[in-house]
Formats: sequence, structure tokens, C-alpha cells
Amino acid sequence: MSMFDGFKFRSVNSSVHKMDPRAKFIYVCVMFAVAVMFSQIIPLLVLLIIQMPLVFAARVQKEWLRSMKGAAGFAIIIFLMNVFSLYFYGNYESLSAIVERSFALTLRFMVLIESFSVFFLTTSPDLLGLALEQSRVPYELCFAFTTAVRFVPVLAEEAQTIMDAQKARGLELEGGSFIKKIRNYIPILIPLIVNAIRRSLELAETMESRAWGATQNRTNLYVLRMGRKDFLLMLFSFAMLVVSVYVSLNVQIPNIIYLLNI
Amino acid sequence: MPIIETKNLTYTYPIGTKPAFEDVTIKIDKGEFVVLTGPSGCGKTTLCRCFNGLIPHFYSGKLEGEIYVSNLKVVNHPIHELAQHVGMVFQNPENQLFALSVEKDVAFGLENLGISREKMRERVDWALKITGIYGLKDRAPYELSGGQQQRVAIASVLAMQPEIIVLDEPTSFLDPVGAQNIFEVINRLNKDLGITIILVEHRLDLTSKYASRVMIMDKGRIILDGPPKEILNSEEARLIGVGIPKVTRLYQILKNKGLNLNEIPLSAEEATKGLLEVLRI
Ligand SMILES: Nc1ncnc2c1ncn2[C@@H]1O[C@H](COP(=O)(O)OP(=O)(O)OP(=O)(O)O)[C@@H](O)[C@H]1O
Ligand SMILES: [Mg+2]
Repeated sequence: MSMFDGFKFRSVNSSVHKMDPRAKFIYVCVMFAVAVMFSQIIPLLVLLIIQMPLVFAARVQKEWLRSMKGAAGFAIIIFLMNVFSLYFYGNYESLSAIVERSFALTLRFMVLIESFSVFFLTTSPDLLGLALEQSRVPYELCFAFTTAVRFVPVLAEEAQTIMDAQKARGLELEGGSFIKKIRNYIPILIPLIVNAIRRSLELAETMESRAWGATQNRTNLYVLRMGRKDFLLMLFSFAMLVVSVYVSLNVQIPNIIYLLNI
Repeated sequence: MPIIETKNLTYTYPIGTKPAFEDVTIKIDKGEFVVLTGPSGCGKTTLCRCFNGLIPHFYSGKLEGEIYVSNLKVVNHPIHELAQHVGMVFQNPENQLFALSVEKDVAFGLENLGISREKMRERVDWALKITGIYGLKDRAPYELSGGQQQRVAIASVLAMQPEIIVLDEPTSFLDPVGAQNIFEVINRLNKDLGITIILVEHRLDLTSKYASRVMIMDKGRIILDGPPKEILNSEEARLIGVGIPKVTRLYQILKNKGLNLNEIPLSAEEATKGLLEVLRI
């Protein structure tokens, strides 16, 4: 159970998964912009909560929670760093003001993690590659992206096999100083790299044999088309942006300590 | 007019000191099922690379002599053009699939060629059905067994509707049952669709019954070339150490002991039939 599992695509049959990655990408960008616009607790808390319906609609609560838990460790570090730096370098009148601001900045981090997690949890690499292609990213780059994703599990398995094979020959992986530990991994890295090079040659040969580069006007088995839900999501993102800009310019957002009269 | 024709073809890899194969002169007709075999390192893979232009376009080095495939002079046509006539299936199924779903993989060649979406859909489904993997079309490659992956690779070249399919030891990573399935698919492509097949294979036990012709290479030369029964029963084939079918070997042993079967058997069925015929007398 690593934090990264909270970002790894899970195939679930939900309407969020079926949405156009481009629409979701716009949503993530807006979330990012809005989160950076505010540095008070209340609006950031709103941002954190407002995304929850999306998580539930996508039925990825478990994975999402995992990403949030994983991020919690970082969040604590961010919080403490903020408290320290604001205490020594900021000119805040009270400690509670410092804590409030640090907490807000930590919340901002959580909001960003939340929207990234939703995006990556619900967007299949396949669709993402297709979205890149249709956004006029050069095909070579899109191809490199999907191929990289395709070979991650293969390379992981290969690394495991090599590790087992070398251990069976008496390679000691654990123990020793830091430098020693890195040195220990050389007998694993070298075969891994050699294999990867050999594999890439074979792949290149196969690509050539499948008419790679035959025409500039490459076609695609699928086309992404924006549907009603995608337009709704984009509309929502746009509305969010407008409201946020308005609020940040015209509304004086009260501090919690002020409200509580501490 | 043969579909593949070479004249005194000789090739040396850029880093090679002696030719990987030399003086190869062959004619292969449309619809043939050729099994190419020979000891490891004798140049089978290298020869196959010439059929779709990987040599000389992808591998540099020195190519001498002439080679024509589907009436195209290989040295004058790019690989992507030859790829529409010759499909290539390689040894390791894992490194032949690069898309994230089976269907996308089968479509890959057609996408490269810029075929329209409707036509592509049709051809992809057709290829998936013929190779018996239509049910797997939405799976990811790593969710498939080696045999299924290899069938995807075959479907991928089939979708491009080539006249020739070259398969370089397509079953060496597979178990016997998986291999048997692959051979049956290949046989269907040959018998039902009339596609010319060149199959590099060591398991002659399983493949020679499908073949219309067997070629044996040794040290870069084609030393035997002809109908399977004749070639596999020859003394030379046995001496080179190619794995001739056990039933063919049995036939030879029985013959030495004075029991003559009417026909040289290539499969267990043929051997049983032959034995029954003789023993009934
Ligand atoms: N990419 C390459 N670069 C240089 N030399 C090569 C290359 N590939 C093969 N060779 C050499 O060419 C010769 C023929 O090799 P080839 O791979 O064609 O044999 P093969 O009959 O396919 O063997 P196997 O049954 O093991 O697959 C060998 O001596 C080999 O070392
Ligand atoms: Mg070979």
C-alpha cells in the first residue's frame, strides 16, 4: 500500500471514468489556479469538500483515501515548515495567526493532491494518450507515453526476476553503509539496462514491420468526442474560476481566529 | 511468377566478419507453406529480415545479390511499403505489443497506414475473429498468456492483409499446447485464406504435417529444399541434427529392420494408418 496507489488508474465503470480527459484536465487546471488564489482556511476547505461528489461518483473513495493518507505525512512536514518560517521570518502578531496560515497552506496542498488524484485515478492511460494525440501533441511523443506505460509492469517484473536470480547467486542486497547499498544494486541495474536496450531494438523492428511512419496523416481507431457531462464539467470549472476571481477581488475573507475572537 | 525470389543473396552484418548467410537462391510460390529450419545461428532470422526489407533498410551491412518480394525489388522500397505485402511475427510476443489494449494493437499498423476508421474497424474485427481472440479485444497485453499474446501479434499483421506472413520461431516461448494452437491458426491462414507462410521452427514434430515444403539451412546456406517427406527422410537432415519427427525416424528404423510402410509418415495419425495397413497383410 503505497501512496502512489492513490494515483494509479483503476478501471471502474463510472461516468467520471468515461469523461473526456481534456475536460478533466481543464478541471484540474482550474482547481490548481483557484487553490493558489486563496490562502485562507475557509475557501480552501470549500475547495476540498466541493470535490468529494466527484470522488464518490467515480467510486474511487478507497484509493482516494489512500492518496490522502499518503499525503498526510507530507502535509505535516509542510505545516511544520510553514510554522517555523512564518515564526522566524514573517511578521504576524500572534502565534494563532501563524498556525492558521500554515494550516491554510497545508490545506492548499491537500486540495492539489485531491484533484490530481481524482484525475489520475479515473483517467486510463489509453484515453490520456488519445487526448494528447488529439491535442496535436506530436504522435511520436504520445507513442512514447503509451509505450512507457505499457512497459512499466513488464520492467517491474523483470527487475524482480533479476533480483531473485542475483540473490540466488549470493548477492547481498541489504546491509552495509549507504554507498555500499547503492553499489549492491549495480548487478541488478546492468542486466536491467542491457535487457531494456535489447527490448527497444526488438520493439523498433516490430514497429518498422507494422508500417511505422508510412504516412503523415495517421488515423486512429478511436476519436474522443466531448459529451454532455464533459461540457457540464467544463462549465462548472469555468463558473468556479469566475466566482473565485470575483470573491478574491471583492470579498474580505474573515480569518477563523477573528471569527472565534481568539 | 514466384511471390518471393532471391538470386545469389548474401548478407554480412556491419560488425560481422563473415556472411550471416550466403548464396541463397530460392523461389517461393504463392500459397506455399514453407518450414525453414536448421541449427542455431545458421542464419534463419537474418534471412527472414530480408523478406520485409528490415535488411537492408533497418540493418545496414552488406547485401549482395537480388531479392524480389511480391514483384517489388526489396532494396528499392521502404519497409512500410513492403509491410503491406509481408507480415512479420517475431519470437518474443511481449515485445511485439505496444498498445494498452489488444484492439489498439491490432489497429496499430492500419493507423500507421492512414486507413479510414470504418474500414479499420472492419479489418480489426475480422483479424481478431480469425485468430480466435475477439473475446479478448479490450484486455491489456500483460493480462494475456504468451500464447494469447502471440495470437494478438498474428492478428496485428493479419489486419494489414499481407500476401505473405513470415513467423520467426513464434512458439519458442510457449508451452506445447499453446504452440499447437498457434500452428493451427497459421495453418488456417494458409489453407483458408491462401496466405503464403514462411515458418521458422525447430519443432518439426508439430509443424511438418502442415508444410508443403521444408528448407534446411546450415552455416548460412540452404542445403536441403523440397517436399517435407522427402527432405525429412533424407540422411543429410538426420546428420545435421534437425529434430526430424519421431514417426519419420520410426519409419526409417522399421525400414532398416525390413518393415516397409507405404508412405513416409509425418504425424502420429499417418504413422498409425501406415502401420495398420502393413500389419493387416
Ligand atoms: N543484429 C546482429 N548483428 C550482428 N550479427 C548478428 C545479428 N544477428 C545475428 N547475427 C549473427 O548472424 C549469424 C546468424 O544469426 P541468426 O540470428 O540469423 O541465426 P538463426 O538461424 O536465426 O539462429 P537461432 O536459431 O538461434 O535463432 C550468427 O552468427 C549471429 O551471431
Ligand atoms: Mg533466429
